[in-house]
Amino acid sequence: MRSFFLTLAAYFMIEYFTNQAKMSKNKLTPKILLLLISTDILETVAQFCFKKSALSGSGIEIKSFSTLALFFKLNFFSLFLWSAFVAVFILFIIWSSVLSKIDLSIAVPIASFSYILVPLVSIVFLKEKVTWLRWGGIFFIILGVISVSFSSREKRDAHS
Amino acid sequence: MKQGGLFLISLIVVTSLFDTISQLMLKSSINSVGFSTRGIKKIISSIIRLVVIPRVWAGFLFCIVSLAVWLFVLSKAELNFAFSVDSMHYIFIAFASRIILKERVGILRWLGTVLIVIGITLVALSS
Repeated sequence: MRSFFLTLAAYFMIEYFTNQAKMSKNKLTPKILLLLISTDILETVAQFCFKKSALSGSGIEIKSFSTLALFFKLNFFSLFLWSAFVAVFILFIIWSSVLSKIDLSIAVPIASFSYILVPLVSIVFLKEKVTWLRWGGIFFIILGVISVSFSSREKRDAHS
Repeated sequence: MKQGGLFLISLIVVTSLFDTISQLMLKSSINSVGFSTRGIKKIISSIIRLVVIPRVWAGFLFCIVSLAVWLFVLSKAELNFAFSVDSMHYIFIAFASRIILKERVGILRWLGTVLIVIGITLVALSS
């Protein structure tokens, strides 16, 4: 869901600014940094709300189609699900405006901070446990996401 | 690994895969329309041309199914576990862009993909 909108936003902005080639990008101003941090927080809020919504139906033993339908019905009427949608929508708008001002290779590493924020929120508010091995895994995932986002720079250099 | 851990991971694979399909459909539709952003009028006409493509709606459908599976996963799994493993959509997208969209995928992107695989494996082993 979230990536559907994020792709749309990313594509739209990249198209827009390849048309205006002379725009100076890549300046990470405090305002943009603040916006990027707010996307981290919104992402975390959205995931937390999705989890809360899913928990509202977790008491159901899903064995048949009717219990599955009941599960989704409970979710559909959960305020948390709709809060998550609102968070994703605001995320979409902020992400679009940020990408119009800064490169993906700068925006994505800062946005991948949510891979740390989500486990932290899980520990504090959902009483989940995160082992050291899992933190290690998360560290590798973040490194991977940063490498992938830097490859957008590699590709552009090849074109110029 | 906890009992049912493998089942949950395969469900996360499904939601990531559907997410990827949805994005591919969206991206290929945008490519075929030739999205123009020069002026408000062209933006609006591009959006209208986009909305009438069935593939965009199919993409949206995949995105809703992916969300439904995601909610089901979250009702069973810990949030931090599911969210970390969900990063595998980066891997699917790297492969799909290479194979279906015929984009050039550089060394750095493959390196990042390998790092994500290592990370997900560690997260999966920790459960």
